[in-house]
Amino acid sequence: MDTAFLLNSMWVMLGAVLVILMIGGFILLETGSTRMKNAGHIAGKTILTFSIGSVIFWAVGFGLIFGKGNSLLGFSDFFYSGYDIDGMSLSGAVFFLFQLAFAGISLTIAFGGFAERAKLSAYLVFAVLFSVIVYPPIAHWIWGGGWLAEHGKQDFAGSTVVHLTGAMASLAATIILKPRIGKYNKDGSANNLAGHNQVFTALSVLLLWVGWFGFNAGSTLSVDAGFFGFVAVNTNLAAAAGTVAAMIISWIVLGKADVPMMLNGALAGLVAITASCAFVETWASVVIGFIAGILVFYSIRFFEKMKIDDPIAALSVHGTAGVWGTLSTGFFATKELATVGQPGLFYGGGLHQLGVQAMGVVVCGAFAFIVSFILLSIMKAAMNGLRVTEEEEIIGLDMSEHGSYGYPELVKVEQKLKA
Amino acid sequence: MTECSYSQVKKHRFERMAEASKDHFQLNALHDNIYKRVIQLAIENVSKEYGPPPCSFSFFVTGSAGRLEQSIWSDQDHGLIYHHPDLDMKSYFLILGKEISKGLYQVGYPYCDGGVMSSNPMWCKSISEWEVQLNRWIEESSWESIRYLLIFLDARILYGTDNDVHLLKNLIFQKVNTNQLMNKFLNNTMFYKKGINVLGMLLPETHGQHAGALNIKEIGLFPYVNALRLIAIKEKMSETSTLLRLESISETMSSVIDKPLYTKQFLKLLNYRLLLCDQTDYDSGHYLSLKRLTKEQTKDVKDMIKHGAALFAVVRKLLEKEDSYGAK
Repeated sequence: MDTAFLLNSMWVMLGAVLVILMIGGFILLETGSTRMKNAGHIAGKTILTFSIGSVIFWAVGFGLIFGKGNSLLGFSDFFYSGYDIDGMSLSGAVFFLFQLAFAGISLTIAFGGFAERAKLSAYLVFAVLFSVIVYPPIAHWIWGGGWLAEHGKQDFAGSTVVHLTGAMASLAATIILKPRIGKYNKDGSANNLAGHNQVFTALSVLLLWVGWFGFNAGSTLSVDAGFFGFVAVNTNLAAAAGTVAAMIISWIVLGKADVPMMLNGALAGLVAITASCAFVETWASVVIGFIAGILVFYSIRFFEKMKIDDPIAALSVHGTAGVWGTLSTGFFATKELATVGQPGLFYGGGLHQLGVQAMGVVVCGAFAFIVSFILLSIMKAAMNGLRVTEEEEIIGLDMSEHGSYGYPELVKVEQKLKA
Repeated sequence: MTECSYSQVKKHRFERMAEASKDHFQLNALHDNIYKRVIQLAIENVSKEYGPPPCSFSFFVTGSAGRLEQSIWSDQDHGLIYHHPDLDMKSYFLILGKEISKGLYQVGYPYCDGGVMSSNPMWCKSISEWEVQLNRWIEESSWESIRYLLIFLDARILYGTDNDVHLLKNLIFQKVNTNQLMNKFLNNTMFYKKGINVLGMLLPETHGQHAGALNIKEIGLFPYVNALRLIAIKEKMSETSTLLRLESISETMSSVIDKPLYTKQFLKLLNYRLLLCDQTDYDSGHYLSLKRLTKEQTKDVKDMIKHGAALFAVVRKLLEKEDSYGAK
């Protein structure tokens, strides 16, 4: 067996492991950004929905994305059994696992919009529907040789495919579920339902940051010329620039160095560079990350003002930054690096690539949102509502959905104090 | 009988409030008047059960009442000094302190969360005990005891003799140069809520019931109040109100502090709070809704905040400079 095949397989396997470990990052991110009474539920359901997503991906997801079909959907390779894939210089099973991890991340992002109020059953059903109907078509269009791939859409590791898709499903969910009890006052002003653990949130960002090397650099799918190193450098720079930018803008506008905002800036930088990490120069990744850090700040404020209650800022971090990241290659993709599509506006490519990127964002975003909205609406009607009762929401989903608290002693003390 | 009398004072308060609340000075005179009536009633009530006060005593208010800077709603801040060192007296004056506190509560002054009330043994002491306590606070110089000293420095007599408070404050003034006390006073009051960002935009609350409103007490008033209290300590002033403290600034200090400017700004700030804040309750009374302001008023508010910050910075620089000379 040739060395390249083995090394590629090793490298992408490492990438898959890192990406799956990002689920741990999301557990910390989501629990840290929400309240104590829902912590056990959030941690547990994240593992559970990733498991559901994994099985569905194996059964149908992979086939719908990468199977032979038309420009809209693939139709072969269901119930994948571990064989190698023609024309690929790495183990088929490794490639499969890597792709499975991506689908799992997108699903986890979608559930951000469910936080602290959706029934457990809503998670279970939507995990299946999202993994069959929402994610695979978009992934096929861009990565599976579908119609957007034919246009030369640039989305190296999934700003659109993974992040925007997840965020749009999340948006549909937040709109249908409505804000959490206590988020908005009668006069329309918003309350800050602060997360219970900033240390979790900070650790989650670090875990995701490291995981992102698997996500982006792993997406090279090969060790050829050590190009993954370049991708990793761009990734790191964008995350750093996003962090700094969010800190600066929150200090300028709010007069304080807001920790959750800074952390969201790091994630926004990572999401934004996901599409462009292989197509742009290092200085551009700093600019892309920096702009993402600014955008996420205004985006969070915008959604809050629009009365869209997004507990973990999934819409801004994955949606807004995902859109920006996708568009960014239309500006910054260089002639040498644009192995897919054309160079961007700043490199003599004119508006062509920007147009392709914009079309991709609009079509994929609209598809993910509309389909998710319809699916969730049907679920709402069929399942007698997606949301837990008021009483259940107040006692916390740990108790209402699972029968025990993630922090039994502390929640009991808190309730005693309130009584 | 008791309830009835306090309720009469309460009625009086509400009858006069509408008129008095149009003017800052009238309003504070009314508060003083109500306090005095409550003290008188409390003495009468306690006398009926325990006899008349066993020795002479003074009652002081502190906090915003001490500084004559109360708004329509204000919580209680007060203490008591009696003139006989006998331990037996303590229980009597504590009973009196509790009665005054209860009376004030009944006429509409919420209890002080921090316990600065003459019903609390810490704030109800004989003059010699007060001396011991103040000396201990100076000695300790912990964050908490420095805070108590600062509270005491705003004390103003409402019943009894002014001399009591002067005597005790002098005790602090004399020791200002020891134990780096001045520096500690400065450090204890240095942090205040930021009101304007670097772009010159106001920073209202972003969340909660008062979203969109500015906490005018912490952002606007505190820098002036704290700066002038520091000056008062440095110049050993007996005045407690920020405006009077400004007026009493010495010639030398006047060269660096623009008295007329800050007087005008601070008075304006008090009037903005009184006339433009939502005065439905104690909490809301400190929040200025920015939506209701005209363009000129918004500019005014910015100016008041900026001048407050500038004033504090000047005072800070002054004290730090002296401190560094002292260290040499």
